[in-house]
This record gives sequence, structure tokens and C-alpha cells, in this order.
Amino acid sequence: MVDLKKLRESTEKIINRDDVKYVIGWEKGTHGFQVTPLFITSSDDVERLIFNPLCVHNLTVFLMLQEKLPLRKGAEEDKRKVGVIVKGCDSRAIVQIIQEKGLNRDDVVIIGIPCTGVIDPKKINKKFPNQTKTVDIDEDANNFVIKIDGKTHKVPKEELLMDKCKQCQFPNPIIYDVLVGSEIKTTGKPNYKDVESFEKKSLKEKWEYWEKQFEKCIRCYACRNVCPMCYCKECMVDQLNPQWIRRSVNVSENTAWNIMRAFHLAGRCIDCGECERVCPAEIPLVKLNKKLEKEVLELFDYRAGLDVDVKPLLSMFKPDDPEEFIL
Amino acid sequence: MSKDSFEPNIVAFLCNWCSYAGADLAGTSRIEYPPNVKIIRVMCSGRVNPMFIVNALHEGADGVLIGGCHPGDCHYIQGNYFARRRIAVLKKLLEYLGIDERRVRMTWVSAAEGKKFADVIREVTDDIRKLGPTHQIRRSNSW
Repeated sequence: MVDLKKLRESTEKIINRDDVKYVIGWEKGTHGFQVTPLFITSSDDVERLIFNPLCVHNLTVFLMLQEKLPLRKGAEEDKRKVGVIVKGCDSRAIVQIIQEKGLNRDDVVIIGIPCTGVIDPKKINKKFPNQTKTVDIDEDANNFVIKIDGKTHKVPKEELLMDKCKQCQFPNPIIYDVLVGSEIKTTGKPNYKDVESFEKKSLKEKWEYWEKQFEKCIRCYACRNVCPMCYCKECMVDQLNPQWIRRSVNVSENTAWNIMRAFHLAGRCIDCGECERVCPAEIPLVKLNKKLEKEVLELFDYRAGLDVDVKPLLSMFKPDDPEEFIL
Repeated sequence: MSKDSFEPNIVAFLCNWCSYAGADLAGTSRIEYPPNVKIIRVMCSGRVNPMFIVNALHEGADGVLIGGCHPGDCHYIQGNYFARRRIAVLKKLLEYLGIDERRVRMTWVSAAEGKKFADVIREVTDDIRKLGPTHQIRRSNSW
């Protein structure tokens, strides 16, 4: 658990710098187990900043969502930096964006938090249904301590942790300017058991499974909007000429969309699990992303978002890449 | 349509410098190959966006073939290497979703290999004839 006082102190130090526009963090939500992103523009806002196991959001997405309004004549662009508070997995998103030259390292100030895992909102809402008031939440070594209406519940971590956190390999931020708290020892290993057992099914079974999943898709594009890697100025689904995918919501269009969404994340997905978290139709998108992650690791021995100096997977090659599938 | 009389519809993206010239050579040398293939000329196999492939399957193709120069022979030095990586990943993804990976094929054909081109087309057509028509992502025009 991170010392909140230290986090606030270092955030205050950063927001008081002249070259920082705002810092993005989390604040207490207004409903149940929700936590909302907070934009700290002055040192007055710092006391609203929190960090607890409910802070699931990957805030790096906001770096790429910055609105750039047209400037008045003679006005100068605000070129100040943006601060962002990141957990281990979120920091990989920043590394990956910098790799792709979507972002300049000098344009961001990164406050890193070693993270011991966050709570899956779906799981906690199932355990404590109809919770409308906000709650206080704390953690010790093996339990989450949840205070609801004066009552204290101790819930084992295993039960509420997000699936990605159970096998997390990078709890410590990979890239940061300030690290709050001390680094955590990692125990996780890449775990592709789910993917492997699914791979063994026959083509027919696989398609039947995915057809059922994709039928549910309502094409709200929440998965794209929340993804820190989806920062194209114009997404291919929004394009009208050529129009790759029609707007009509049916299985074939949904499948095409989901294939292209997954493929565009090949070798880029940093497994923050945001897409699956926000999906209103509960499509297991992480299962798709994990598959690509596994293949990329096996075929090219590459993992996304670990080193700023490495080139992105699909914009480099090795002469001895696997080619046994070629006729 | 019974399976015996099924004629596959194959879209081939051939690179201008090698595979397309190879197809041309197959034609000028009067080598016979199945007429199921519709050739689209692109400047380089690296030009083939995975979206092209998914879109072709989506619009009713039963198979897609991508032809490029042999490694090291690319007119643009490295285009085919990039294509190779992309297609490798895309094939794995399609397989995972339950779409047979043999529907997407890649081949290296040089401008001198008219015979090889005809052989490749024959093999791909036979394979896809066995697989039958795609039904997974084919666009349904019922709105």
C-alpha cells in the first residue's frame, strides 16, 4: 500500500513546477465502488487525490486524448508538460507509446506507484450488491479491508483481484520520474493456460464460441476509447472512404471489427485489461489480446512496452523470422 | 450448391515486381492454372494491409493469397520482410477465432517462376476447394 501522504507531497511538488500543466490521478467517486480520474491543476486539488485498490483506471489514455483547440492569432501553444500517476502496467503503455513516437518522453512527468494489485469492479459488485454509498478500502498483506456502513469486512485478495493482477509480472513502473513507495518483488510468470486450453478446441468449437461472443457486441467502441494504445487521429472504423466496416451491427461486421481491433494491438497490447473492464456486453477481449501476446512472444521473442529504445514489433524485422507457412 | 461443384473464389495480392511478373510469365508461357484466382496488383507485398485480407474474406472471398519477392529480392529492399511478420500474426489470430488459417496463404514467387506460380495457384485452389466456402465473417446484406 502506498503512503498517501508521500504521494500527495510529491504530486504537489510537481504541480507547483512552472512547466507542468496538470497532473492526472484518481479521486474518490460518488457511487459505490467507483473511483474517478482527477485532473489536478493547482495545489488546492492535491488533497482530493487518492490511491487505493479500487483505482483500476489506466490513466495514460488521457495523455493521448488531450484536446488541441485551434489557436487564436498570435497565441502560443501551451507546451507545458502533463503529469500522470501510473501503476506498473500503465507505465508499460507509456513506454509503448514513446516507442511508437506517439509521445515525447520530455512531455510527460511520470509518478510511479508500485502496485500490489487492484480490485475487479465486477467481482466486488457481485460480492456486495446494491452498494450505492462510497466505501473506505484498505489492504493488508493478504486481505482487502472494506468498511461498509461502519462494518468491516475482511476479504482475501485472491477473491477480488483482477485476473491480470494475479499473474502480474510488472508491479513496479518501468519508467518514472518519481517513485512513491518502495519496489515490490515480482513473483508472476507469463501464464497462458487459458489461451492454451482454448487453442486445443476444434475450429468449429472456437467459431461457435466467438460467434456467440461477437453477437453480443453493440459496437459502442468503448474498448477502443479506453485503450491507451488506440490513439490514431482517425480510427479505421470511423473512416468512410474506404469504409472497411459498416456501421450495421451484425455478426459479420462485429467479427471484422473485433479481428481488426485485436490485430491492431498485436505486439502493442500491454495487458492492462481496460477493454474487457469497460465492455458492456462482457466480451472476453483479454482472451484475444493474450493470444496475440503469446504468439508474438513465441514467434518473435518480443514483449510490448518494456524498453523505450526497441522498435515496435511490426515496424522491424529479422531476416530469419519464421516462414514455414510460406508456400 | 453441393460441395463437389463448389468453385472457390480466391483473391491474390501480387507484388508488381516479382509475383505479378511471375503470373505474367505463366500466362505468356501458356501454363494452365485454375481460373478461380482474381489477381490484384500491388506495388509491394508490404503494401498489403491486413485490413485488405480481412475485407476480402468479409466481402465473400474464400481464400486470400499474398505473393511477394523472395527474401532479399524486394524492390524496396525490405517490404516483404514486414509483410511476412504481419501475415504470420494474422494467421494465428484467424486460427484462434475458428477461421481456418489455410484461407490466408503467402508465397514467394520471382519473375522467372511462372511454373511455380501455376503450381501455387493449383495447390491453394485445391486446399480451399476442400475447405468449402467461408461462412464465418462473410458479410450478410440483410439490414
